[in-house]
Amino acid sequence: MRYVVGYTANARGGDAVNLAVALARRQGASLDLVMVMPEDSPYNGVYPPVAGFESILAAQVSQWIDEGLALIPADVPSSAHIRRGESEAEALIAAADDLGASLLVIGASATGLFKRFSVGSVAGALLHASTVPVVLAPSGYSRTEPITRLTCALGTREGAGQVLAASIAMARRRCLPLRLVSLVALGNDDAGTTVEDAMEHLRGVAEASQALDVSALDKVEIDVVVGSGRTIEDAVDRLDWQDGELLMIGSSRLAQTKSIFLGATANRILRALPVPMIVVPRDFEFTSDEVTA
Amino acid sequence: MSAKETVRNAPGDHGLSEKGLKAGSVGLIGAVVIGISCIAPAYTLTAALGPTVSEVGVHLPAIFLVGFIPMLLVALGYRELNNAMPDAGTSFTWASRAFGPWIGWMGGWGLIAATIIVLSNLAAVAVDFFYLMLAQIFSNDSLADLTTVLPLNIVTTLVFIAGACWISYRGMETTKTFQYVLVAFQLLVLGWFAIAAFAHVANGTAFDATAITADWFNPFAVESFSQFAAGVSLSIFIFWGWDVTLTMNEETKNPKKTPGRAATATVIVIMVIYMTVSLATLAFAGIGTEGLGAGNPDNQGSIFAVLAGPVMGPFAILMSLAILSSSAASLQSTFVSPARTLLSMGHYQALPKSFSKISPTHKSPSYATIAAAIAAAAFYVITRTLSENALWDTITALGMMICFYYGITALACVWYFRAEAFRGARNFFFKFLAPLVGGVILLVMFFKTAYDSMDPDYGSGSNIAGLGLVFILGAGVILLGAVLMFFMYLRNPAFFKGQVLSRASQTYNP
Repeated sequence: MRYVVGYTANARGGDAVNLAVALARRQGASLDLVMVMPEDSPYNGVYPPVAGFESILAAQVSQWIDEGLALIPADVPSSAHIRRGESEAEALIAAADDLGASLLVIGASATGLFKRFSVGSVAGALLHASTVPVVLAPSGYSRTEPITRLTCALGTREGAGQVLAASIAMARRRCLPLRLVSLVALGNDDAGTTVEDAMEHLRGVAEASQALDVSALDKVEIDVVVGSGRTIEDAVDRLDWQDGELLMIGSSRLAQTKSIFLGATANRILRALPVPMIVVPRDFEFTSDEVTA
Repeated sequence: MSAKETVRNAPGDHGLSEKGLKAGSVGLIGAVVIGISCIAPAYTLTAALGPTVSEVGVHLPAIFLVGFIPMLLVALGYRELNNAMPDAGTSFTWASRAFGPWIGWMGGWGLIAATIIVLSNLAAVAVDFFYLMLAQIFSNDSLADLTTVLPLNIVTTLVFIAGACWISYRGMETTKTFQYVLVAFQLLVLGWFAIAAFAHVANGTAFDATAITADWFNPFAVESFSQFAAGVSLSIFIFWGWDVTLTMNEETKNPKKTPGRAATATVIVIMVIYMTVSLATLAFAGIGTEGLGAGNPDNQGSIFAVLAGPVMGPFAILMSLAILSSSAASLQSTFVSPARTLLSMGHYQALPKSFSKISPTHKSPSYATIAAAIAAAAFYVITRTLSENALWDTITALGMMICFYYGITALACVWYFRAEAFRGARNFFFKFLAPLVGGVILLVMFFKTAYDSMDPDYGSGSNIAGLGLVFILGAGVILLGAVLMFFMYLRNPAFFKGQVLSRASQTYNP
């Protein structure tokens, strides 16, 4: 199994490498560090033309990617690729496809001062177009030990069943405890009944989904939690998060089949989230080689 | 176990050129469009037509025709250098290879200075037409006068420069469609302007109908050599950008034929448009120094800002839109060039190391792009506050600067290929004669213009202590370069001792 890491030579790239190492260790996966060289459109009309920049940039990118490789501990197999593309996101998706990668790991932008995740333009584009699951490392992610718990955020809309199926599959494969979360953006939290509602909702989702039977729910250690607050961000803040936690979230219904489109709620969750997040494409099924690895 | 290996090129990555451009993606029409967009005819005409008329009067068409000759000769030399050292590609590295570090440094400085000056002029022209367009949109003439309010003008120009710098730093891509539309729109509006002007002449409604005579095409009728030199150095500016078609290689669909054909087609289109528009302008407005006359110093900074209204009536807004869009697009794309040259000089230790910084996120020169923006902003603020007509004086200084760095580069070509010069007619012509003649013409124009511009009445007539402002701008910038170069030598002599970029020449290898 291979994971593609979209590397940039800054703190954000370091976050992505750390997270990729954490994910790979549990699965014995290998990492493919990918950097993208920009491809100038001749229609930019750069004048006077300057050709020397390209070789200087190529040397710099090579040096950067070697530094990136050096960040990866010796127990994780890794290789590096320099690719060209007009858009960085497009080139990363193409790399993930070509290499047969099962995950694409990138760091969120480090420019957001108060929020952990401020999605940069590349991450933003990936979260709206990727055909493989995208994992986002929050700013300052320094853990390289394996993930300790998987949380799956479920909504009430169509498609929740697929996300639930994916999260159960992933938790089982990685022998992780699974936590199902329903986020409620409203004051007035009557804890008892809300959890009941959520449980009911979850079972409803599970039954509605043809992909899995209710009994499967018992096979993984599952915790059901409802987060509530004035806003979705507030609800996320109020939940307790382990250091080694990973949040799984589904694509918006706007997504085309087999690709990602980050929905409005997911975007809001992202802004407040203190842990890494994995976004699965719509109708995505983890391939069998993931299970055998 | 770790298995670390770096795959420098992914499979299927071979269709890419050394320059990082998509190979084989540009056809003949595409190359012509790129050439015209680099020339930006709507912008160059509005900026250069007035100052040229002030020098050579009705002989404007003749000077435009003659001005192309040195441009052509030098561009032929450029093409040879570009083919021999495709990975270098700046006046800085080429001149350093041929003549050593000192002249190479000044060649690079000349190129940077020329692009910095054109950036400040582009931004200023864009701002003029921005306010003019606001006035046209809201039918309120007082809005157009806002550009003459000095603090507001400076602030708006700085905003334009900052915006272009930001876009260039982030590396925005211009799409094919956008460039086609931009170029087609410019040509259409210029054509419209010319036809409308001739229609006014025919209807007797022109401002100062002037009959076209054959004498307008006679360059020898220009009164003095000073005027001739000034006119040629200005017309170098109007063709600046044309040579980009010749340096295109891998990105064209047929590298053997497309560049040459595109260069020819581009120059034909450009000549037709320049001739038509300059004849139309002269026929409509004459060269009188009153009112709308093309000889009126008040009109010469940006001629279309004055003439488009009377000539095109309510459709003058199209002219504003064409010039605003083309100068804004050029502003953004031109930023790339000084930034990359500064980066390259930083990389070869000819400038402090910080200039070689590359943004990890956008993979563009970070420090150098911002430095270029600050320099362009500073140049504009200084010129605007010192000059009575900043646009006019910057264009004249720009013409000088282009002659300077083009001249150096052309002679670098002659020297670099000296071993091959007399081996065969093709070598003799392209690697020796053409660049030699072109380079000498340009350097003569440079020195003559520099000498003449000491006259306090030169250009717009701005002067400091009796010394012409154009001279102070042009020579001052070069002198500043020389001082910086010496300072750099004291700080880090490695480059100047030839330890970084060694001198070289092409050996004869048939």
